Amino acid sequence: MDLHFHLNGVERRLALPDGLTLLDAIRDYAGLTGTKYGCGEGQCGACTVLLDGRAVKSCVLPASAAQGKAVTTIEGLARNGQLHPVQRAFLDHSAFQCGFCTPGMITGAVALLARNAKPTEAQIRAGLQGHLCRCGTYPRIVAAVRAASQVRHD
Amino acid sequence: MTDADRLLAEYKRRDFLKLLGSGSLLTLPLPGAAAPVRLRQAAGGFYEAFTGKIEMGQGARTLLTQAIAEELHVPVERIRLTMADTDLVPDDGGTWASLTSPETVPAVRRDTAAFAGHAVTPPQDWKILGQSVKPLHGPDAVTGALRYCADVRTDSMRHGCVVRPDAYRARLESFDDEAARALPGVQVVHDGDFLGVVAPDAHTARQAAALVKAQWQPQPLPSLAEIKESFRTRSVAPVEVKETRYPPLIRQGDVEAGLARADRKLQRSYWLPPIAHVPLEPRAAIAEWHDGAVTVHCGKQAPFLVRAELAKAFGVPESKVRIVVTMPGGAFGGKQRGECEVEAARLAKAAQAPVRLAWTREEEFWVAYTRPAALIEVESGVDAAGRLSAWRFRNYNAGAPGLRPPYAIADMSNEFWRAEAPLRQGSYRALAATGNNFAREAHVDEWAHALGKDPLDFRLANIEDERLKTVLHKAAELFGWGRRKPGNGRGFGLACNLEKAARLALFVETEGDAAHLRAVRLVAVGDFGAALNPDNLKNQMQGAIIQGLGGALWEQLRFDATRQLTRRLSQYRVPRFQDVPDLRVEILDHRSIPAAGAGESSITLPAPALANALFAATGVRPYALPLTG
Repeated sequence: MDLHFHLNGVERRLALPDGLTLLDAIRDYAGLTGTKYGCGEGQCGACTVLLDGRAVKSCVLPASAAQGKAVTTIEGLARNGQLHPVQRAFLDHSAFQCGFCTPGMITGAVALLARNAKPTEAQIRAGLQGHLCRCGTYPRIVAAVRAASQVRHD
Repeated sequence: MTDADRLLAEYKRRDFLKLLGSGSLLTLPLPGAAAPVRLRQAAGGFYEAFTGKIEMGQGARTLLTQAIAEELHVPVERIRLTMADTDLVPDDGGTWASLTSPETVPAVRRDTAAFAGHAVTPPQDWKILGQSVKPLHGPDAVTGALRYCADVRTDSMRHGCVVRPDAYRARLESFDDEAARALPGVQVVHDGDFLGVVAPDAHTARQAAALVKAQWQPQPLPSLAEIKESFRTRSVAPVEVKETRYPPLIRQGDVEAGLARADRKLQRSYWLPPIAHVPLEPRAAIAEWHDGAVTVHCGKQAPFLVRAELAKAFGVPESKVRIVVTMPGGAFGGKQRGECEVEAARLAKAAQAPVRLAWTREEEFWVAYTRPAALIEVESGVDAAGRLSAWRFRNYNAGAPGLRPPYAIADMSNEFWRAEAPLRQGSYRALAATGNNFAREAHVDEWAHALGKDPLDFRLANIEDERLKTVLHKAAELFGWGRRKPGNGRGFGLACNLEKAARLALFVETEGDAAHLRAVRLVAVGDFGAALNPDNLKNQMQGAIIQGLGGALWEQLRFDATRQLTRRLSQYRVPRFQDVPDLRVEILDHRSIPAAGAGESSITLPAPALANALFAATGVRPYALPLTG
């Protein structure tokens, strides 16, 4: 198939074999490897990207779902060399260990804050429940997302 | 024992003796190869440093960089640390057993101080060690620039996929690969029971593997009940071994006589099923042969062991194998061996091209090894004064780590009985120390209740180590132990441990009966001696406790007569955001005491603390994990 979409603000055309997931299209054909494969069934959130601003699990979406739409990956969050406030907050709180969940976690958190600018801790936990961090840095991630929500709107 | 097991055992033995011997981690170089260097000066005021340790999120890169910067008296930014490329670095042993802080850091400090021409900097003068330097891989982690093995692309790289049986073990009887070969650019690789494909891209490789029609003869698997029974009836008793990190037999006094004269006795049996590591990154390897030598990129914890494994598998000298480690996305003891690497190298050899093999989550679940099941039997006694006086502790199958109790008991025998398990099993964060501490701390708690004593007071009365007592007191105070009575579904429990020189205590408040048990509040205190990087230490302790909630509450792998049934994340519950309780973790920093490792030991705390809280709430004492059944 021919996928015509915007990837991190850039118009892209990819010639893809049939039956490809959006994750494989992004990683193997667009060459952006920040988005991760973790489980292949939408259970871990490592593959999370923004599709027209909404968080989706790209490992269970066909690539065709992005036809004519805008996809933002972890590589597309920083602007003019400045980290996104959520990225900055993850760094400030050391809200990671191995870092493998981090790209999906950050894009998921960006989408969460877009829906709810001032989430409570309980809302952050519920909103990110579909994301796994096997290193167990959850309390730090919650603190980072809260901090990012303050920065953005103070 | 398989060849790989024997190799691992030998490697771990050498790893230990090496550390006992010279005090330096540098090993003999390979014949004909230049000796690996630890440090060299580079242009522009930079230093290049080399270590065989790996970074997997536990903080080794940052910590070792801090140690080097400390002794060179330069900022951490001046150090470029190359980790775990076997052609370039000294063999610092596997990255396991929480050894980086207690052993590699001192060795690196000695080497660096010698390089700089001064004595090792005493702890009171540290300016960089002891500081919470942020993880050096952080900027790459938050931008997606951090590359794991599956993110690496090499020139003319092809993609492999292994054709696997449905059964846990099976013999290949026949196969038809006509449809697979019809796909453009697909090669089929067959060697004994090994069957795989190589294709121009990963998508085609998966398609081709699915098109191979293979007939397998499955081998039967015993049930977990039968496995448990075989531990009891067919294990090998331990003998005393002196030069080993984990002695399989730790004796004191005369346990038989002690039990015979005990005032009261208690005999209990505990069970832990096999569980999976579930690192978020499924493993991958890229292998490339050139003139009879192979280079393998992979995310493994023990590059030199994997090198030895590959050399053995292909009958080449170790000098013909180069392992280049990319950071694993979590390992937790599950990425020590070279199974995926050997497969990738077989495919690459047959295809005469570089081949990338990336396991799926399903393969990660059932082809990788498990944390060994544990059967633990404890027979103990107290004297007339109600003190622990006799203790016979037998761990079957799981391993010798964490056998020694933190309690002062006159007559005791702590034993690891080796078993032949039919499941693939291997290391896991803290390995047997988790099962051992579950059994020990549940058993001690049962004694406290049987004797009508407060579980905290009973422990304190039987512990001589002052640092552990302090940790217990501190955690009890922060938790408010004894302030509220259990009931109405609320339980309060505690567990402590003295593991790998760390003194640890954890107090938990739970709600729910066994089927719905959850932790609502946790307080943990750890004394790891000198806190080399306090925030990282805290991150490790928090993470290990949260990870430990999974094994305590839900995790177990299921099997039928020939297959592992648990193969997907949707079939296996691990802790998520909403499972994490209100968690407070405190570190007691003793700069003058040598640092203990911290990556593992805290994972031994949640299971017994939760089990003890469940008993307090319900009056029913659990003897098996996972607690929710």
